[in-house]
Amino acid sequence: MIIPLLKVTNLSKSYDNIVGCKNISMSLYPGEVLGIVGESGSGKTTLINCLSGNLEPDRGKIIFNINNKETDFLNISESEKRKFIRTDLAFVHQNPRDGLRLNVSAGGNIGEKLMSVGYRHYGNIRSLATKWVNKVEIDKSRIDDLPITFSGGMLQRLQIAKNLITSPNVIFMDEPTGGLDVSVQARVLDLIRSLVNELNLTVIIVSHDLAVIRLLADKMIVMKNGTVIESGLSDQVLEDPQQEYTQLLVSSVLHV
Amino acid sequence: MIKVKKVNKSFTLFNQNNAKITVFKNLNFEVNPGEIVALKGPSGIGKSSILKMIYGSYIIDKGAIIINNKNIATLSAQEILKLRKTSIGYVSQFLKVIPRISALDVIMEPLLNSGDNKNNAYKKSIKLLKDLNIEKNLWHLSPLTFSGGEQQRINIARGFIKDLPYLLLDEPTASLDSRNRDIIINLIKAKSNRGVSIIGIFHDEYSRKKLNVREIDLNIETKH
Repeated sequence: MIIPLLKVTNLSKSYDNIVGCKNISMSLYPGEVLGIVGESGSGKTTLINCLSGNLEPDRGKIIFNINNKETDFLNISESEKRKFIRTDLAFVHQNPRDGLRLNVSAGGNIGEKLMSVGYRHYGNIRSLATKWVNKVEIDKSRIDDLPITFSGGMLQRLQIAKNLITSPNVIFMDEPTGGLDVSVQARVLDLIRSLVNELNLTVIIVSHDLAVIRLLADKMIVMKNGTVIESGLSDQVLEDPQQEYTQLLVSSVLHV
Repeated sequence: MIKVKKVNKSFTLFNQNNAKITVFKNLNFEVNPGEIVALKGPSGIGKSSILKMIYGSYIIDKGAIIINNKNIATLSAQEILKLRKTSIGYVSQFLKVIPRISALDVIMEPLLNSGDNKNNAYKKSIKLLKDLNIEKNLWHLSPLTFSGGEQQRINIARGFIKDLPYLLLDEPTASLDSRNRDIIINLIKAKSNRGVSIIGIFHDEYSRKKLNVREIDLNIETKH
């Protein structure tokens, strides 16, 4: 029996009297990609913010099990939590400007991430950063340029490089292709997919685009009003949805 | 061996006045190793549904589907993912892939995902592309720009690249000319000779005959 990398039990978070997410339970196994779908306000972002340590939930349990080491995420000290977030988790924002420092060079953005987990040798940092800039298909001649000179698609790829360079164990992505035009979207999707396969990444991805979920995620959950109303294999949920709301969601997709 | 036991399947369409469509009541059949079973019946009778139930894409209402002594109906999502990876190949009717990924990468992916090394995956894929008569200048292009028949063959290559004991084929010989159809038929035969259990939907009499299939007539199996 494989132990889940992440096990969430009865997680709840409200904002005063408004429900963010309620009684969420789920498991994620190593190498799996989990998609979270639902309309705006359904609690998708609240959920991944709780799981990634950006928000403090009101109730529930979040247990990470990484290399046979169990971390009770909501019951560790603040310093342990900061360290865990830095070394084991990564968060790719919808807007790359939220995950990058625009007045620091592309290489610097990646380099400071490495330094945050203990890299000190400048030559190593530089060569690793160059390798990753290359991996996300940014020309290495741009490594000393400021991100403000980059296009939206390049910025997103830079943000992905910055997040993956430290080999985190769980990667959260909030609408990673949301703000990009479709041709750029395909390129970022392709990049994410190839990195997932190559590095056997464990990913939780929020998207309202069912096609993105279908192509990237092994499993998915559907949220409505803060709760999970349906979950299962992505192809199963999309092809044989059992809930009224999921059926509506799937049947509302336009096909070109 | 695949055992389909007393399976009921229906769809409830909540957004269309809760219409309930019953597809199967008490469906039973078995497929032995090395056997090729062809599902027969008019469109809409549930041929593709059977493949999807076995693959775990459709949830059954009642009954059991046994593969490798495991009942698909009671497995968790990750257990089904594992079973698919190790045992079940599925060739869907249409190719679904991310734009921009080359045909070669599309075919190599299932092997790389199960930990095969790149060199080996590359060699196997190239051989299959050659066997399937896909022109060399297409190998590094995205199959989304290919013709229907070429896409179909890439889809088959992706489903056939691994040695799996079960194969589900949704109209693998549709949209192919006679020469390419014969190539596919020979590939399917070769799988069957190696003991693979195959369930397929074959629209043409020619393919069914050449493959020496056992037909399951859903008109008879599903009278309800």
